[in-house]
Amino acid sequence: MIQLFNVTKSYGGESAAVKDLSIQIPKGDFVYVTGASGAGKSTFLRMLYAAEKPTKGQILINNQNVTRISSKQIPFLRRKIGVVFQDFKLLQSRTVYENVAFALEAQGKKRYEVSKKVYQALKEVGLEHRLQRKPLELSGGEQQRIAIARALVVDPLILLADEPSGNLDQQVTLDIMELFKRANARGTTVLLATHDHSLQKRFPRRVITLDQGKLVGDYQPDQL
Amino acid sequence: MLENIRYFVRRALRNMRQWPLLCSAAVLTMAVALATVASFFLVVLNIEQLAASWTQEVQVVAYLEKSPKPQELPGLLQTLQAFPELETARFVSQDEALKRFRKRLGEDASLLEGVDRNILPASFELGLKKEFRNQKGIDQVIKRLESTIEVDELRYGQQWLERFNTFVDMLRFVGMVLGGFLLFAALFIVSNTIKLTLYARRDELEIMALVGATMRFIKIPFLLEGALQGFAGGLLALVFLAGSFKILIEQSIKSFWLTPANFELLFLSFNQQLGLVAAGVLLGSLGSLTSLRRFVRI
Repeated sequence: MIQLFNVTKSYGGESAAVKDLSIQIPKGDFVYVTGASGAGKSTFLRMLYAAEKPTKGQILINNQNVTRISSKQIPFLRRKIGVVFQDFKLLQSRTVYENVAFALEAQGKKRYEVSKKVYQALKEVGLEHRLQRKPLELSGGEQQRIAIARALVVDPLILLADEPSGNLDQQVTLDIMELFKRANARGTTVLLATHDHSLQKRFPRRVITLDQGKLVGDYQPDQL
Repeated sequence: MLENIRYFVRRALRNMRQWPLLCSAAVLTMAVALATVASFFLVVLNIEQLAASWTQEVQVVAYLEKSPKPQELPGLLQTLQAFPELETARFVSQDEALKRFRKRLGEDASLLEGVDRNILPASFELGLKKEFRNQKGIDQVIKRLESTIEVDELRYGQQWLERFNTFVDMLRFVGMVLGGFLLFAALFIVSNTIKLTLYARRDELEIMALVGATMRFIKIPFLLEGALQGFAGGLLALVFLAGSFKILIEQSIKSFWLTPANFELLFLSFNQQLGLVAAGVLLGSLGSLTSLRRFVRI
């Protein structure tokens, strides 16, 4: 369960990136976060994994107040959250296997456990035959699938995706959506920031719309 | 625990393998910095040692008005040897003085033919104990001498000794200031080189923080890497120093005219060599630690 109460984030200037945002997202929900560029989508997601601290308001994730946790607790919060970016954020000098294993190693998992889970996660995204390749040897779609495998390998409670298909073609986008839907079906709460309306039409889910940092729409699929 | 240590070491080594250029840059910078400081230390060490060997030759020579009678000599020598400041007291007879002079003249010794064999005065050559090889010690000996025997002339290189002591004191001071400055510059350069290597890997640091790595988990491999690079830098500096010492300096210094014949150049002792490598490890770890603080923000 994600709860935001009157959350504002400003960077010192007159206009705030996020203004007075109050949202509740139940466990296991699938939510699109939409809005034009600069609407505050990324800031909203970044506050959820504690990369930004709200200027005002409270954020609760599974009843834990994210705005009040110490920097020592932040890693433990992030272990419950998988994050996927438009630019993949992969380690180009590491192999596909190492990129995914990295997330488990960071949590101090045992070696045998790591190899088993990494193989499963890569099989899930259809890359189990590319274990020893470097990301740059693969296509954009495949690189994004590595990033998704890295996010999902830790069995996160929440998956945050910030414009994950921004650089990818339609077919690859659909493949990636399938991966998100499958994760959601297993109980992971998914928040997907996008301005691709065709996705919302093809896979109707709850849509939260932001404009200049403010919540201007929150619709369930049957209301669309 | 053991599994963790193995993992950290593996990651540190893998990082170094994956970034060979950055790694060599850091190792080389540390090696140059350490070698510079250590060679400066060696220079100061050897000049002090040279100074000590020069002061060993400090002696008071008392030229006598009249040569003592043979039966008086043992008594006189005994009295002199009882001086608390003296280590050695040696009598040089007029004959011996002439013999030495002849030897020094070498091929021109024939000039002395026909010269009165009593032309040179007899003398006492007095060697001082280590703790009295200074102005104060010399003054004490002179005072005692003047009340014991009839001295015609005294020679003891007083002004030279005073100037030399001032020079050694100044050298020590300049050495400390310059050495401190060099060490500070070395720390600064090393820390900046490590900062550059971390800057090139900021993505890795960011991703680690993103997937929930703790500060400890992020920092330990980098610290280990810094320490390993420092260790390699220290070893490299040592090899470079030892090499240039054996090949270049030792040979050239021996042919230098001011070097005393029995002078042995000092190299770093085993403990100092260990200290140099340990300084490398410390420099690498400190450099990593201070740079990491800037780059790792969770």
